[in-house]
Amino acid sequence: MSIVLVNPLDETVRPVRKPAARLTSLEGSTVGLLDISKPGGGTYLDRLEQLLQEKFGVARAVRQMKPTFTRPAPGDVLQKFADEACVAVVEALAD
Amino acid sequence: MLTTDAIAPHFTLPDLDGGTFEFTGGSVLLVFFETDCPTCRLLLPYLNRLADHLRATNVKIVAISQDDQDATQRAVGQFPVRFPVALDRELNVSRKYDPAAVPALFWLDELGKIARTQLGFSKNELNSLSAEICAATGVEPAHIADAYDGRPNFKPGCLSRHLESSTPSAAAERTDLYPGSAQRASRIELMREADALAFCVEAGYADPLPVVPPTLQSVEQMLQQTAREPDDVIGLIPPNYGAATVEKIAANAVMAGCPPEIMPVLLAVIRAASDERFNIHGVQATTHFAAPLVVVNGPASGELGFACGQNVFSNVARANSTLGRALQLVLRNLGGARPDAIDMSTLGNSAKFSCCIAENEEHSPWEPLHVEHGFDAQQSAVTLFAGEPPRGISEHKTASARQVLRAIARCLATTWSYRVCMAPPALVVLGPEHAKTIAADGWSKQDARHFLFENTGVPIRAYTGEEEGEGTAYAQYFEEVTVNGERCYRKFKSPDAIRIVVAGGTAGKFSAVVGGWGSGPHGSQPVTYPVDD
Repeated sequence: MSIVLVNPLDETVRPVRKPAARLTSLEGSTVGLLDISKPGGGTYLDRLEQLLQEKFGVARAVRQMKPTFTRPAPGDVLQKFADEACVAVVEALAD
Repeated sequence: MLTTDAIAPHFTLPDLDGGTFEFTGGSVLLVFFETDCPTCRLLLPYLNRLADHLRATNVKIVAISQDDQDATQRAVGQFPVRFPVALDRELNVSRKYDPAAVPALFWLDELGKIARTQLGFSKNELNSLSAEICAATGVEPAHIADAYDGRPNFKPGCLSRHLESSTPSAAAERTDLYPGSAQRASRIELMREADALAFCVEAGYADPLPVVPPTLQSVEQMLQQTAREPDDVIGLIPPNYGAATVEKIAANAVMAGCPPEIMPVLLAVIRAASDERFNIHGVQATTHFAAPLVVVNGPASGELGFACGQNVFSNVARANSTLGRALQLVLRNLGGARPDAIDMSTLGNSAKFSCCIAENEEHSPWEPLHVEHGFDAQQSAVTLFAGEPPRGISEHKTASARQVLRAIARCLATTWSYRVCMAPPALVVLGPEHAKTIAADGWSKQDARHFLFENTGVPIRAYTGEEEGEGTAYAQYFEEVTVNGERCYRKFKSPDAIRIVVAGGTAGKFSAVVGGWGSGPHGSQPVTYPVDD
C-alpha cells in the first residue's frame, strides 16, 4: 500500500544571492577585520593586519568587534565596513 | 533531494527537438545536467553506451538540462548525446527532485519509484548503476566506464542550478523574523508503507534512533490537538531561521513518538526556544556542552503523564522522552543545527537526545518554578534552560538546611569552570528529601536561594597561589565575600542567577546542579511560556 509523508524538514524559500565579484589584488585597498570577541581574536588579527600590509600592499585596515560571539553581528557593525569602503572583510576568532 | 523509495513525481517538459517529454511512470533514468558543468560533460558520453545497450528495451534515458535551449543546443552539439534531452529552464522539475548537485542521476524503476540516486561522476558507481538497470531489465550487463580510459575515476559535480543565486543583487534583503504564516509542508509519496522508516533515515529526517514516519494521518492527529492553523508560524529556528509552522512541528512530533495530546506543550516549548532571550542561535552553535533542558509545570504535567519523580532525568516516561526529542528534531530539521555540522559542541551532551523534566510540585514545600516566574499555579507552563549535563550531589549525613545547601554550594562553585565567577545562571534541582530537610528548618525557597548566593564562592587562594587560567584575568571585577570564614570571590552576580526546582524520587538524599551558558543578554537566559494552544 502506498503511503504519504509530510516533509518534516525546513522548506523555507530563500533568495540566494550572487557573491560579490572576486578581487584580483589587494594593493592600496581598505580591508575590514572583524573580531567576533573571543579572547584571542585580537592577537590573530594584529598579525593578519601586519601581513596584509607587508605582503599584499593593503593600505588600511578597519577593525570592528562584535559585542558578543554568541550572536550574529549587528547591522551597525557591518555597516561600518561599507561606510569605510572596505573591499573585503576577514572575520576571525581565536580562543 | 528525493531519495530511494520515494515515488518519482510526474512532469512534462519541452524537449530539444521542439516536442515534449512526459514522465508518467515506467523505467527511466533521469540525468539532470548543466551545460557549463565540466563533470556533466564528462559523464554524459558514458551514458550513450548505456543508451545504445538498452536500445531494444523499454528503458528510457532522458537528460534534463537546467539551461535554456540555445545553451543546451550548443553544449549537445559539442559532445554527442544519443538519448532525449528535455529542458527545465524554469527549474520546476529540478525543484521537485531537488538534487544537491549535478550531474544527478535518478533511476526510476518500472513501479515509478526512485530506485537509486547518484551525484557527480564516479566510474564505479556508473558501472554499478548500469548493472542494476540491466539486471532489472533482463539484459546482459554492460560495463560502461573503463577504469583506464584516461579520464578520472571520480569527479565531484557542481551546485544544482535551482540552488544557485536567484537574484542578481548581492545586497542582503532583510529577513522577516516574525512572519504570521508560511507555506505548507510538501508531501512525499512512497510506494510501500514498509519502506517509510528507511526513507526517513536516508532522507536525513532522523536523529540516529529510529523515528515514527510522519504520515499524513498521524500528522493530522497531532494537528487536531491545537486550534492553530497548520501554516501558522510559531517561530523561526536559528541558525538557519527555518519556519517552524504548526504542521512542521507536528511532523517532527510524530517522528519523535509524541502522544498527540502533548502537542500544545510542544508548541509552548518551540515558542520558548524561539525567544531571543534564550539565544538558541548561540546555544546550537557553541562548542560548549549547553543543550536545552525543558521543565514542565502546572496541571498539564500530571494530566499528560510527565514524570517528575524517580529517574526524572532518565528514560522513565513517554511524555518527557518524546517532548525533549521532538524539540531536538525541530532544532535539527528546521533550525539546521546538525550535530555533524553547524552544532559544533566539542564533547556534546546526552541531553541532545532529549532532556525534559517536570517539577515534583506535590512533594515540593514551596511555590513551583512557573509561579516564581509570574504565572498562576493552575496555568501550565514550560521553562527552557540551556544547561550543562547535571552534576550530582549526595548529602545523606545532615539534617540541617544549612549543611545541605553548603554541599550544593560547593558543587555550584564548579559550574562553567571553577575560577570563572559572575558565572552563567544555574539550575538547582533539589531532590524531595533535601527540599524537605531545608523546609523543616523553616526556610522558604527565597531563603535557600539567598543562602546559596551568599555561600557559593571560589577561595581567593585559587587565584593568588596558582598559575593563570580561565577566569583569573577578570578577578579584579569579582566581588569578595566571606564563605565559612574564608575570603572568596562570589560565584554569581545576583541571587536571580540561581533557579530552584524540586524534582526526583522521594527516596534518596540527592540533588543536582545544572550550569548554564553565558551570562545576561550575551548568553542564554531561561524563559518560561504558558501552555495555551
